[in-house]
Amino acid sequence: MARIDFRQAGHLPNNRSGGQPGSPDELPRQRNGVTPQMHGRYPDYNVLDEVEHWDRETRQVVMARVEHLPPIRLFTTPEAQTLGAFCDRVMAQGREPKIPVLNLIDAKLFSGKREGYRYDDMPDDAETFRRVSQGLDAAARQHGARAFLGASHDVQDAVIQAFADGTLHGEVWDDLPPSKAWQVVMREVLSAFYSHPWAWNEIGFGGPAYPRGFARLGVGQRESWEAVPAFERDPVNDTHARHVEGT
Amino acid sequence: VRTRFHGLRTLARGAVRPPDNDSAFLLDVHRRAVPQERMARYDDTYPVDIVIVGAGAGGGTLAQRLARRGWKVVVLEKGPFWDPDSDWVSDEAGSHKLYRTEERIIGGTDPVELGKNNSGHGVGGSMVHYAGYCPRFHPSDFEVRTRDGVGEDWPISYEDLKPHYERLELELPVAGEYWPWGDPHRYPHTAHPIAGGAEIAVEGARRLGIEMRVGPVGITNGSFGNRPHCIYRGYCLQGCKVNAKASPLVTHIPDAIEHGAEIRADCMASSIELDESSGRVNGVRYIGDGVERFQHAEAVAVCGYSIETPRLLLNSTSRRFPQGLANNDDQVGRCVMVQGAPQIAGRFAEELRMYKAPPPEISSEQFYETEQTRGFVRGFSIQTVGPLPIDWARHVLADGHWGPALREYMRDYNHWYTLGALSELLPLSENRVTVVSDVTDSNGIPVARMDYSQCDNDRRNIASAKRTIHDILEAAGAQDILTIDRYAHLVGGCRMGSDPQRSVVDSDQRVWEVPNLFIADGSVMLTQGSANPAITIMALASRLAERLDLKRLDAQASRPRPRRVPLPPLIRAGGA
Repeated sequence: MARIDFRQAGHLPNNRSGGQPGSPDELPRQRNGVTPQMHGRYPDYNVLDEVEHWDRETRQVVMARVEHLPPIRLFTTPEAQTLGAFCDRVMAQGREPKIPVLNLIDAKLFSGKREGYRYDDMPDDAETFRRVSQGLDAAARQHGARAFLGASHDVQDAVIQAFADGTLHGEVWDDLPPSKAWQVVMREVLSAFYSHPWAWNEIGFGGPAYPRGFARLGVGQRESWEAVPAFERDPVNDTHARHVEGT
Repeated sequence: VRTRFHGLRTLARGAVRPPDNDSAFLLDVHRRAVPQERMARYDDTYPVDIVIVGAGAGGGTLAQRLARRGWKVVVLEKGPFWDPDSDWVSDEAGSHKLYRTEERIIGGTDPVELGKNNSGHGVGGSMVHYAGYCPRFHPSDFEVRTRDGVGEDWPISYEDLKPHYERLELELPVAGEYWPWGDPHRYPHTAHPIAGGAEIAVEGARRLGIEMRVGPVGITNGSFGNRPHCIYRGYCLQGCKVNAKASPLVTHIPDAIEHGAEIRADCMASSIELDESSGRVNGVRYIGDGVERFQHAEAVAVCGYSIETPRLLLNSTSRRFPQGLANNDDQVGRCVMVQGAPQIAGRFAEELRMYKAPPPEISSEQFYETEQTRGFVRGFSIQTVGPLPIDWARHVLADGHWGPALREYMRDYNHWYTLGALSELLPLSENRVTVVSDVTDSNGIPVARMDYSQCDNDRRNIASAKRTIHDILEAAGAQDILTIDRYAHLVGGCRMGSDPQRSVVDSDQRVWEVPNLFIADGSVMLTQGSANPAITIMALASRLAERLDLKRLDAQASRPRPRRVPLPPLIRAGGA
């Protein structure tokens, strides 16, 4: 495993030719707790170790996301399969463990929760998801695939990139503005993914902080319990420090 | 002598108790909820002195001021009476209920996202989830037509609001460094400590000759009455579970209740009733517990903010006002405004962990005023924003990254710091709130539609603000920069003026043609500067209350004499 210097920013997509990052498999595997796909920059950090320091109300809300997998109730099975494949690809969740993005979205929309605004040329959010499901298939067919589900990664990526660029057209997309649909769909996808403690482990987010708060605010400072980044320790001495010598 | 005076003033900082608002002392030491055991209850048929619709920045302040002066006040609030201990969480997605999320339609060439971004729900209004910035407007904001030939001049000046700003800064209280911009002034609480990212940004700005200062934020520095010190947990936008951040829920509602106001939560106003013979309003129709009710009142103040206030007026039709109350000149809902609020994030070598410390930390108003060389009129301010993971993900997405690239930027979260701009966008008549008759809410009331489009000056302003922040982050040593375009705040829609044909209310915020109907929220503003509007909305409500009480305004035929209410004890332990 190559050592990446995170003081430099050479790993960031904007600073790389082609605009794509290196493989996350270059990163250490998670040793404590879970991250999506088990890679991350803070291999010994598990925000769920801190649960006892959170207030009761917050604990209930956050733990429900980990402990209960909501069933799909709003979307039909074909819709759920297509949208599930989209969520996996757009969040780069190629293997387990995966954050159940679509289940969380389905639960929210099924309960009637909305965001408080609807574009004048767009349907209700739930209907937007349904039409996007049809629209992904339509766009995949334009690339010669039978449907979005089961299409090659190249086709899926081309469809998603066109969705992000707002250039999808034909069939569903003649009535559904792709840029606004992208905004609505990704707002829900990102809210679901980054509301999950596994994602917080991956990015080293401190998580809920009431009633404990934060005391170390300065450059490079962290609380005693906050995530220590990988590669900041000497791997040889580290095995002594963590009592994992020989494993 | 000067030095000695200054020394005493510094020593007294933070120790000065607001002379006529005991809210911080009426809260309980052991729980965060506002004590309601002693709250007055009025019968619907009893004509109270005033019904206030909405318990946010405007309504909360107006209720406290008038209750103190002996008025019998009922506040109707659509949302719940929050208990921060049991209702709020230290979590982004879990705070969904704080926002007004019922259906609204948005249109125009540059539609404005509502809900979480700018719309409150429940007692405290959107100040429950605002960041906490409390800058005053500049004197120039009140005369932009004279100075810059755009917008409208206000019928009042900065000097009319100044004493109310000073009073409110003691009540919230506002913490910050000496403020050199606009009308220079100091703040009652010293500035909060800032996090590492803000230190780096201040230094980057300094290298370019740009001054950034700490504050001004409505967050108590040190305990204040029974409100504890801020714990720097970074969840200001999710409702302050600590009670350290100011919102009317903790700054004005407790004192209003103590002086006889009733806060009637979970009550949705559906229309204001006009007495056709006298031309005066006589109460508000509302829905509470699923039942339609009617509260009689001598006067009505609408404080529903820039979308719900026009909606309520437009949904209140009568023979005198067939197009909606106060809308005979087709002015209701016009000139609704937002601020351009792009956010630009910089990547640095060290860990900065921008989720720590309150999102409002530092700001600059150096670019607030018109500078001819920039090619547009009016200006912008620069402020810290501290996005939590979901907001940070939307920021990364907006810069064009998804899939593996988005995950990579997200993993890099702890190395980033974010600044935002507030660009003053100009009032345009076609930017308007209307009601959609064929789309109704759960109570069967037609919903609001907001159309918004920018003009050229707006686009140039936002582009200039983004360039400036980009330069600051680069000067600070940023290794990569990501940008998101967005909006913040709502004002206008029922603006005040001196010409009845071009405004909805007069300089006393009284609806033209209806002598006992007032509007006391952000919708009366004619311009917005590049300041966060909360404290100005409160100052306008505070001024209205003063004028009502000085009988400059005869909202009522006769009023009860002010009651003497004994001061509460300094500390009230729960159960003691």
